[in-house]
Amino acid sequence: MTSARAEARPRAGAGGAWWPALGIAAIWIFLGVFLVYPLARIFYDAFSDDAGRLTVRHFVDFATDGFYRRSLWNSLVLGLGTVAATSVLGFAIAMLLVRYDFVGRSLFSNLTLIPIVAPPLVGVLGFTFILGRAGTVNVLLMDWFDLLTPINFVYGVHGVLLVETLHLFPMITLNVVDALAKIDPALEEAAESVGAPGWWKLATITLPLTTPGYVAGALLVFIWTFSDFATPLVLGVHDLLAAQAYLNIVQFVDRRLFRMGIVISAFMVLLAVLFLIAARRYVAIKDYSSLSYSRVARRRLSPARQVLAILFLSLVMLASFIPYVGVLLASVGRGWSMTPVPLHYTLQFFERVIVETPKYVVNSFLYSIVAVGICIVVGVPIAWLLARTHVPGRDVLDGLNTLILAVPGTAIGIAYIRAFHEPPPGFDRGLTSFWIILPLVLAIRRLPYTVRGSYASLLLVHRSMEEAAASVGAGRLRSFRDVTLPLMWRGILVGSLFSFMTSLQEASAVLFLSLGGWETITVGIFSFYIAGSASEAAALGVILLVVAAVTVLVINRVAGTRMGGMFG
Amino acid sequence: MNIALRAVSKKFGATAAVDHATLDIADGELFTLLGPSGCGKTTLLRLMAGFYRPDGGEIWFGGRRVDDLAPHVRNIGMVFQNYALWPHMTVAANITYGLKLRKLSTTEIARRLAEGLRKVNLAGLAERYPGQLSGGQQQRVALARALVLNPDILLLDEPLSNLDAKIRLQVRAEIRTLQKDLGITTVYVTHDQEEALSLSDRVAVMRDGVILQTAPPRELYERPRSRFVADFVGVNNFVPGVCRDVAADGATIDTALGVVRGVAADGVTPGGRCVLAVRPENLVVGNGGDNIVEARVILASYLGHALRYDVEAAAGVRLKVDVRDPLHHQPLAAGQRVRIGFGSSAALVLTDDVGAS
Repeated sequence: MTSARAEARPRAGAGGAWWPALGIAAIWIFLGVFLVYPLARIFYDAFSDDAGRLTVRHFVDFATDGFYRRSLWNSLVLGLGTVAATSVLGFAIAMLLVRYDFVGRSLFSNLTLIPIVAPPLVGVLGFTFILGRAGTVNVLLMDWFDLLTPINFVYGVHGVLLVETLHLFPMITLNVVDALAKIDPALEEAAESVGAPGWWKLATITLPLTTPGYVAGALLVFIWTFSDFATPLVLGVHDLLAAQAYLNIVQFVDRRLFRMGIVISAFMVLLAVLFLIAARRYVAIKDYSSLSYSRVARRRLSPARQVLAILFLSLVMLASFIPYVGVLLASVGRGWSMTPVPLHYTLQFFERVIVETPKYVVNSFLYSIVAVGICIVVGVPIAWLLARTHVPGRDVLDGLNTLILAVPGTAIGIAYIRAFHEPPPGFDRGLTSFWIILPLVLAIRRLPYTVRGSYASLLLVHRSMEEAAASVGAGRLRSFRDVTLPLMWRGILVGSLFSFMTSLQEASAVLFLSLGGWETITVGIFSFYIAGSASEAAALGVILLVVAAVTVLVINRVAGTRMGGMFG
Repeated sequence: MNIALRAVSKKFGATAAVDHATLDIADGELFTLLGPSGCGKTTLLRLMAGFYRPDGGEIWFGGRRVDDLAPHVRNIGMVFQNYALWPHMTVAANITYGLKLRKLSTTEIARRLAEGLRKVNLAGLAERYPGQLSGGQQQRVALARALVLNPDILLLDEPLSNLDAKIRLQVRAEIRTLQKDLGITTVYVTHDQEEALSLSDRVAVMRDGVILQTAPPRELYERPRSRFVADFVGVNNFVPGVCRDVAADGATIDTALGVVRGVAADGVTPGGRCVLAVRPENLVVGNGGDNIVEARVILASYLGHALRYDVEAAAGVRLKVDVRDPLHHQPLAAGQRVRIGFGSSAALVLTDDVGAS
């Protein structure tokens, strides 16, 4: 009896062994074809000429062109400026939220997350409605103070800086809040006991300990700003690298300009790789600093200081929510011009973008649902491999997943155009001629959210729970189905919802790859706005806002978690 | 420098973490606060360090009242339970952090760093980061960081609790030697009674924020003043009873085992409820001492240095009896009837501060 069992076991094991291997192979092929190959292709194209010879000529061209040098300089200044501004804002808010107690603290800690989950393209639109030349604020100023010429709040690099800062500061806040909360109070007490004054302790102990989380957040802010072309173009700024990359790629006429676009996107991928290296370097410290027994106690602020804190946070929130009010008003206002708010209201723009031309909404939902399907099929197994196994290449898998977070949509959009334009052997058209390219690029872009969500909840399912199931006779698949899955579905759901919402919001990669008939909501917003139909753009924007709001509510209801950990 | 606490109290919300603690710690003494978790020992240490301000009472370091002073002006050195080494700084940077704040010259800082590293046997590791050190090494860096400032008082908060058992013994001995060499007044917090006994000049046992007894280790073990102390320090057999009479040469107590002669602690009054406490190593199998009890063997456990019998005496009273030198002892089988004897000098009659259980 015993010997019969002992014989039966290995055969069953050997019989099933090639299925997992096949699955792992499928994951690698997917990542290889749709992530590694396009990114590698960008580098190859940046370093080769039309005949396929290796050359650095494109970089020399880039470096000798005064316009590109200025654009690069502008992009760097804008990126660093945004990092500086978001850092000041993000740190101040994080310190207030973690270290001090005041009326409305928990409300503010929820509110500060919202800008990051709002669709960025919609944010820009809103600023133009409220702060533009004929926007609410200028109209009021002209009415009240007899201002003759409107103040230029947003058109120009300073406007891009403002919009990006108010959109991205939660990226810093989230990471710093996380790091601050993990600091062992004894580390600060030790500094006090040897005589460090408060500000010195902050500068030499507290802030350095938040560095790992901060660096990850700051790099993402920089990469985002550096590679965002929609915001500058809406605000009329063209001499930035990302804007040039977009204009150069979509014109399809001048091959030299096209190459410049590729060189620029190679820069962006390089930045993303830099992010990956930095993120890896800090992992060790991150682990160490989480070795804490308790939390630093919150200090209750004096009434006067509470008023200051609340005033400061309210101002930031007000500024962050301006665009949404603007978009809402613009979407229902008829003939809104030269008045602070619209005088006549209508639903005709919603009718136009939902009933008359439903393609934007239909396409967006179709592509995003397919994308989330791919995310789950590929992402959950990746999470399982990362959390539970030591398969060869596990580190690379982890690295690729982190890399995706940092590769900008602009770069991956350009990469896909280059990589999938030519028909593969045996086909007469390339993949870029089929709409499935859009769900594929969305799935790659949003894969990390599904992986991270699933991974986090897998870590909560202690291995011994699965082992306990195995000890009472459940096979691996069976224990996964009966024990692991019921305990981790929330994580998968949260990650998937997040992937879905951000897929709907994706602008840059989709703008590059979308062809006639495939227009998504974001493509609609962009083209309506550029064509001067701001109201239709606003109506589409409101749809994205509603989806974002509903998704965040559902995520909070399902998981009761904050969205920390999703961004770095 | 000597330390004096006068009726020091600290409340967190409604609970008194430290309740009217009064202590005198002599110059150069290694003084231990011992008790279970939540007894207030760490709170009391942090009151001395200055991380908390007392709600009432006074704290004196030498002739200076310190209870309203910030930690860094009290001239203390503190070692935290998890060492609290700054992970982003090297060993050298950790140790010299406080020296730099005191604006000492570069040569003086270098001299003190070298001296500090030598004291704790860490020479050569100055440029490592804490994450690259073993637990024992980290512990010594924390000690060096506290000592280089030449503090008047050294405060140690469960410094050994995160170390492996073997290293713990070694570091324990090192701390004791170092403390004796430097002659520095030291307050040591632990929940490990063996550690407290082996290390300290004197020990204070705490429960629920109250100091129950302050005594040298030997007195604490041999003459505990209450049931809680007798139970927390070492192993003990307890038999509840009623005190019959108390005299200078001994007391008699009515228990389920019959009338037993013993030594009464303070606070035991004739006619009052009390408890008999005898340690297993003071009980002998067979006739011995002036108290004899009939019992039956339940279980024998081999402990290496002793063989411990669990026996049941009259009225279901269970006793633990140690046979030292098990090598020359023929084990008794379960169920076998035995006589258990103990001397009245080893039988303590204590107030029962744990409860009638």
